[in-house]
Order: sequence, then structure tokens, then C-alpha cells
Amino acid sequence: MGGMHGFGPVVTPGSELPYHEDWERRVFALHLVSGLEGLGAGPGGRQVREEMDPASYLAASYFERWTFSAEQRLLRNGTIDPGEVEAMMARLAAGEDAVELADAAMAERVVARFHRRAPMAPPPADARFAPGDRVRVQRMRPPGHTRCPRYVRGIAGTVGRVRGADRLPDRTTYGLPAEPEPVYAVAFTSQDVWGRTEEPPFTVLLDLWDSYLAPA
Amino acid sequence: MTTEHHHHERPASGAELRARALEALLAERGLVSTDAIDAVVTYFEQDVGPQNGARAVARAWVDDAYRERLLAHPNEALDELGFGGIEGQNMAVVANTETIHNLIVCTLCSCYPWPVLGLPPSWYKSEAYRARVVAEPRAVLQEFGVELDADIEVRVWDSSAEVRYLVLPMRPAGTEDLGEDELAALVTRDCMVGTALP
Repeated sequence: MGGMHGFGPVVTPGSELPYHEDWERRVFALHLVSGLEGLGAGPGGRQVREEMDPASYLAASYFERWTFSAEQRLLRNGTIDPGEVEAMMARLAAGEDAVELADAAMAERVVARFHRRAPMAPPPADARFAPGDRVRVQRMRPPGHTRCPRYVRGIAGTVGRVRGADRLPDRTTYGLPAEPEPVYAVAFTSQDVWGRTEEPPFTVLLDLWDSYLAPA
Repeated sequence: MTTEHHHHERPASGAELRARALEALLAERGLVSTDAIDAVVTYFEQDVGPQNGARAVARAWVDDAYRERLLAHPNEALDELGFGGIEGQNMAVVANTETIHNLIVCTLCSCYPWPVLGLPPSWYKSEAYRARVVAEPRAVLQEFGVELDADIEVRVWDSSAEVRYLVLPMRPAGTEDLGEDELAALVTRDCMVGTALP
């Protein structure tokens, strides 16, 4: 949504906190745990959240979106069936206490996974672009998940560091094969992205996969 | 572990009820333990957070060799202090200077360096920040009370791939006598996102 207008101020009362209600931190945790325990299926939570229709996406709070993606991934895996969440909602609303489950081993297993270190592979020696090269972001209209924000499509920039080699998420998200390809830090001037701005010129930098780029 | 999370005096919102129902359903099935949820909440409230990033910044301020390592090989340099893990496996540290001020955003989502900063504040995830900071960074900085000289180059890093960013702020003047712990106390979360200055 880079560059969109109309969202108002960034700093609002309470905005310094990561969440405001207990259910928000718990559903965030539930999303992570259910994912790590292999209870969800299909694209990852982020990609599922992007499947929300734009009006619903913008109307939902951050953690409502996470609730949506957690539930969707559980449904797609068959871990839960349609209607079961609503049935449990009715039981809780009627005053029933939520069941608690003790399993400390699961807690240890999940938190241990948070410490995982698996950085990107180093960039290939024959990367198509080198620091200083001018590149232009391809014009495109991908139907699903992408890491190429709209506001830089068609814009020319300058390659900085080559970050490493990674598979294209536009494909891997959907289980499609993809070879590792270079990912570059690309710097864009504000004039090239936005034209003349009221502010002094500045620089916007993005990490972009080779597939998104063409020589400029 | 307490049970206070699961009892509410006031009527739950639809979203809250739905979230609680998901947790209850998975617990009833024996699939997700309450312990695991509690452990994850605790991890993000105690194990990771800006206190980690602040330690790395303070170390960089007092130790030039560490600063060089932090900028050149951030994963390894942060690992020296025990910091690393998911949403921080490909770290980049960007240094503010007399002429450059760095800001971090994720316009597509809410990518944020969990091992060194914990979970992002609500404003970082807001549509307003995601939309505006790449287009009018100084106007956004003004909301945070930060006014930069016109000749400073603002660099906005959009975390569009798997790289996660940490801003290395400049050491404030007049802190020559402070030790590493005292320096770390000056380094707030927002300083390491770029929306504040120490």
C-alpha cells in the first residue's frame, strides 16, 4: 500500500503497543503454534491474509486478519471442519469455560524453533546484476502473492548489495518449483517513484528478486 | 499459568470470541496446548524485544571493531550476543550518520526483526505508516517529533524480501562517560526503527 492516501495519522493513542487485548497476543501465538505443529495447510498466513477481499482486509484489525488466516489454514488442512468454530463460539458465549490443555513439551518444541538460524544462501557468482547497475522493475500484475510492491513497478533504480539467493515467493507460496535466484537491494530516488514531492528528495530501498528486474 | 485469560467479565467482541473459540477448539482436540500459547506469549514479552537491539547498539558505540562486524556481518555479530532466529535470519544493520537518516518499514505486511526488537508496535503495522513513510517520510517523522535538517538524506528501507533491518543510531553527544549498560538504556525501540533519535 506504499503511497496510498487517506489513512490519516500514524501516531494515535495506544499505537505504541504491539497489541491491546489478551486475545490478540493469544491468537498471534496460536497462529505460530498451529503452523509449527503442522496443523495448517496451503499458503502461509501472510498469503492467506492477502486473499481477503480488499474492503474486508482494510476493515479488519491486524489481529482479526491473523484470526482469519489461522482459521483458514486449519480448515484447509482439515484440522477443523466448517461450523466447528461457530459451535465453540456459541458454547463460550453461553458461559462454558474454555478447555485448557497441558503439554509443556509442545511449548519447549515450539519456542526452540524460534531460535532457528537459516539465512539465505550466498549470492551466485554469476548474478545478472552487480552493485551500481541500473535496473528497471518489470511492469506486472501478479494475481497472487508477490514481494514486488506496486509503487516501484516500472521504476528504474540502482543496485546496491546483492543480498543472497532465494526462491521466488510468487511461486513457492503455491508449491510451484523455483530455483534460487539473486535478491538485490535496489535504491530508488523519490523523484523517480513519486515525481516532485513537497519534501526534499529522499531514497527508498527495496530488496527485489532477479525475476522482478530488467536492465535499465 | 493463570486462567484469567479465559474468563471475561464483559461480553466478548465477535473477533475476540472467534479467537478464543479457535484456541478452545484446538485445546479440546488435544492439538495445541495452553502451555505452548503461554510460552509463545512469554517469549515475545520477555526473551525478545528492544532490549536486545539496544545491547547491540550500545556495544557498537563503545567497540569500533564490533560496529564494523555489525554492519558488515550482522547475523554473526548479533549471534555473538545471542540474538538470532525467525524473522531475523537475514539481518541488515543500517547506520545513521551526520548526513544519512534511516527508517524501516514493511509496506506489504508487517515484517520486523523479532530477535532484536520483539513484536512491532501497532503504528508500524498501520495502513497509515505503511502507505505514508515511503512517500512522505519527513511528515511521518514530524508526528514522532523528529525534525531533520533539510540536507540530511532520508533512506527508507522497505522490507520486501527476507532481510530484516535494524537502524544503528548515532551515539548522542555528551555520553562519553557512560558505560555500555547506561548507553543501552538510551536506545529505544523507535530509535532502532528510525522514528526517534537517542
